[in-house]
Parts: sequence; C-alpha cells; structure tokens
Amino acid sequence: MNVIEINGLTKYYGKERGIIDINFNVEEKEIFGFIGPNGAGKSTTLRTLLALIYPTSGGAKIFGKDCIKHGPEIKKEIGYLPSEVFYYDKMNVIDLLNYSASFYKKNCSKRIKELAEIMDLNLNKRIDDLSFGNKKKVGIVQGLLHEPKLIILDEPTSGLDPLMQQRFFELLQEENRKGSTILFSSHILGEVQRMCNRVAIIKEGKIIQLEKISALQENNYKKIRVQLTAALEQNYFNIEGVSNLEANGNVISFLFRGNINLMMKKLSEIEIANVWVEEPDLEEIFLHFYEKGA
Amino acid sequence: MNVFVREMRANRKALIIWCIGVALLISSSMGKYAGLSASGQSINDLLTQMPHSLKVVMGMGSFDLTTAVGYYGVLFIYLAVMATIHAAMLGANIISKEERDKTAEFLFVKPVSRNTIITSKLLAALVNIVVFNLVTYASSILMVQQFSQGEGGSGEITRLMIGMFVLQLFFLVVGSAIAAKSKHPKTAPALATGILLFTFILSIAIDLNNKLEFLRFFTPFKYYDAKNLMYDRGFETVYVLISVGVIAVLLMATYAFYKNRDLKV
Repeated sequence: MNVIEINGLTKYYGKERGIIDINFNVEEKEIFGFIGPNGAGKSTTLRTLLALIYPTSGGAKIFGKDCIKHGPEIKKEIGYLPSEVFYYDKMNVIDLLNYSASFYKKNCSKRIKELAEIMDLNLNKRIDDLSFGNKKKVGIVQGLLHEPKLIILDEPTSGLDPLMQQRFFELLQEENRKGSTILFSSHILGEVQRMCNRVAIIKEGKIIQLEKISALQENNYKKIRVQLTAALEQNYFNIEGVSNLEANGNVISFLFRGNINLMMKKLSEIEIANVWVEEPDLEEIFLHFYEKGA
Repeated sequence: MNVFVREMRANRKALIIWCIGVALLISSSMGKYAGLSASGQSINDLLTQMPHSLKVVMGMGSFDLTTAVGYYGVLFIYLAVMATIHAAMLGANIISKEERDKTAEFLFVKPVSRNTIITSKLLAALVNIVVFNLVTYASSILMVQQFSQGEGGSGEITRLMIGMFVLQLFFLVVGSAIAAKSKHPKTAPALATGILLFTFILSIAIDLNNKLEFLRFFTPFKYYDAKNLMYDRGFETVYVLISVGVIAVLLMATYAFYKNRDLKV
C-alpha cells in the first residue's frame, strides 16, 4: 500500500521554478529518502504535501486522500519537522508541546515525557532561551508526540550534535518498527544511505533518479587521491572504473567504481607518499546522475 | 478553542496596556475639564473667536465645552482613533504574525483547516476589541459623571461607544483582510494603519472644506461623527448599512484570501 502517491506535482512561484512534474510513491512502513542539493525543491515538495503551499498542477494523495482537499483530516496522522524550527518565543517548552498536543484528540503527556527524556530536553525553559540544536529537539518531540503514522522530516539532523543524531536515528528506527512510514529529506548522502530503503534524488526541481538504496550502493564510488614520490607513467591508473582522472603535480585524483581490491593492488605496486580514499560528496554523485540523465 | 485561548494569552499584555492607556487619556482629559469649567462661560466666548479651521483640526467643532459631556464629545474622536488603531493592528497582526514569526510551519500542519484557525483568531480579536470598548465605556461614564454634576450624559456616551464599536469592527476586518491578502506579513499592520490615518485625515479635510462633502462615504469616521451621534441625527441608516456591508465583505475576503494563497514559509 502506498502512504504517499505523488502525481505530476508541479509548483511555480510566479515564473520561478519550484518543482516540475514530481512523481513517486512512498510505501507503507518504508523509510524513504529524498535527497538533493540546496534549492533543488525538497522543501517545496514537502510543503505542498502538507498544503502549506498549493500545487500549480498535479497533486498528491496521502493515505489515499487528496493532500489539499482533505488536509486537516490526513494531518491527524502526520508528524512534521521543518528544516528551520521557529516557535512562539515567549512560551515554555512544555507549554508549546502541550499546545501542539491539544490539536490531536489524544493524551500525549506520557509520550512527551518519554521523548524529552530520550532527546535530553529541558521542558521548563523558555523557547527563546534555547540554542538552535535545542530548538531542533523541541521540533523532534513536537513532531513525534502524537505517534503519527507518517513522519515527514525536512533536513532533520542539521544543528544536532553527533550523539543526538545517533539517538534521533534510533528513535526513528523504533517508530518505523512500530509501523510508521518516514519520508525524510536531506542533503547528506551518508545519513540517507544509513536510514533509508529507497531514495529519490532531486535536482533543479526534477526527480533525476529513484532507486533502492542497495542499488545506489552498487554504484559505490570512491574518491581516491594519491600523492606520489616519483613521477609515474601517465596512464597507470587509467583502468576500467576510473573517471575524472586528474593529475596535479605529483597528486593524482580520480573517482573509482568497481572492485576495490583491484585498485588496492594497483596502489601497492607503486611507491606513494600518501593516499586518501573518500566517499564522493553529493555534488559529485549528482554530477554523475546529471550527466547520465542529460 | 486552543487557538482562541492561545491568542487571548498572547494578546493579554498588549490589551492591558492599551486599556490603561485609554483610561489614562480619558481621566487626564476630563481632569483638564475640571480646570476649564471653573472659568465658566468664558471658554465658549474664547472659542467663538477661534478660527473655524483651527477648531476643526482640534476636533472641537460646535460642542458646548461648558458641559462635561460636550467636552467629552471633543475627546471622542481621539478615543475613536486610538481604538481603531488598536483594532487595525490587532486584525493585521493576529493573521500575519504566524508568517512573520515563521510559526506557520508549526500551526498549519496541525489537523485544523485554515478557516477554523482564522475563526478562532478573529474571535479572540473580537473579544479584545470588546474589552477595549467596555473599558473605554466604563472610564468615560465614570469620569463624565464625576464632573457633570448630575447632568447625565450616559445616553450620549452609550451612543458614542456603539459608534466606536462599529468603527473598531470596521478596522479590525480592514486589518485582517489586508493581512490575509498580503504576501509580505511585515507590511500588513503598517498598511492597515496607513489606510486608517488616511481616512481620518480625509474626515478632517471634509470638515474643513464643504466642497469635499461628497467624499464622506469614503471615510467611516464621518459615519459615526460625534456631533451627529450626540445631538443631531443619531445613527443614520445609510451609514449603518454601508458599515455592515463593508464589514461583511471584508470578513468574507479575509477567509477567501487566506484560504487560497500560499503561506509564506
């Protein structure tokens, strides 16, 4: 069953591009990643799903109901964490959370306490005394306190320290085990790879790739840089799977995709001063998909 | 209901300050009347020698300043301006602040429709302007009676306060409609008070220059003119109908505009 069905969703702000013809489905109980660089249209898509803004054309269904027409009804079962959290400055954290809970017709006070415990959040502080990271924690508790069936997160980890990110991901996985579906936008490939079953990649308002995380990992690119001690025959690294080969003095860099053992053998046969093996950053992955798409 | 309670709390402090302000304005102005009335009839003699235009600008018109309620009639226009500024800013802010403070992404993802939220907010604003009106009413009755030595005046004051309430409602929905339409939440209160001051100045200009009389329909301050309400014609049907019509249209516009536009998030 699909929890979210997006059909030809298009949004223009005046003449400015928002998103163009977005199509994808999120299945029940999956963790779906939505990844793309800043300004690609991730937030626009999520905000349209939540009827904060209205589509220019196309539409989406959540729980089988039109997300604009039945907005208030479907939002009973949605928890949302915006990328930038802003709350009523003069309220206490607990007052804000109770206010949030008052919109859902159930008693959430126990869950609020549990979540605050997990996220290590002081409930008695005023909102405007909180740091950015602590506001984010309020956002997390606020988004989860009514035990929603669908959790929508817009760049949820920005501002959280690594320990909190870790706890937050555990929390999400727990919610997912209990049956929640999660749609999760990010520009950090690593966290999407770790958390998600499937991923949609968006660039300049269009979905350029939609696949299982396992498939994305088969495209396992490594970014390799080698510092040499002596000059080397120019085509030494030019084997299958190598791209973007560049030589800069005695530093050679390239992207490699393929059997990593072959590359390690190649490296071991020469004298080197240093080597860096890195995950390519998102831009480089995008570049790859973008070129393929074009 | 929760949005209503939240708005009442959020506006509580501002409302108290506005109420103290208006009570102070009334008591200090009527306090001056005490000094003035001691001088007896001479104040009216003095005023007849003042140029007409100066009297118009000061809002004195043709009131009998030797009576407490006549003196209060001069004061009324200032009370009305204060009450309408409060109402216009309240109407605009109560709608636009969610976008201004970026809390729209919190409130509007809750399982309530935009219409429900607008209704709660407008009801909270309505209670606020009613409280403001009642505080003004009570302070007025109290202070005028203090100085009127039993000449009464509560009937006049009641009529003036009803007029002021319609003006408050009028500018409340002016503010809310502008905020509902405007894509720039910060400018909505400024625009609403700008319109208010423009119509106020227009009403003075009409008093100054008879040729502008035909413009009186464009400024609600002329609909509920203190002199008319107190002495002459009372409430005029045509003005009451226009106000009710405009308020209804702006109220519907508030809902329609807000429902159909993208929120600024």
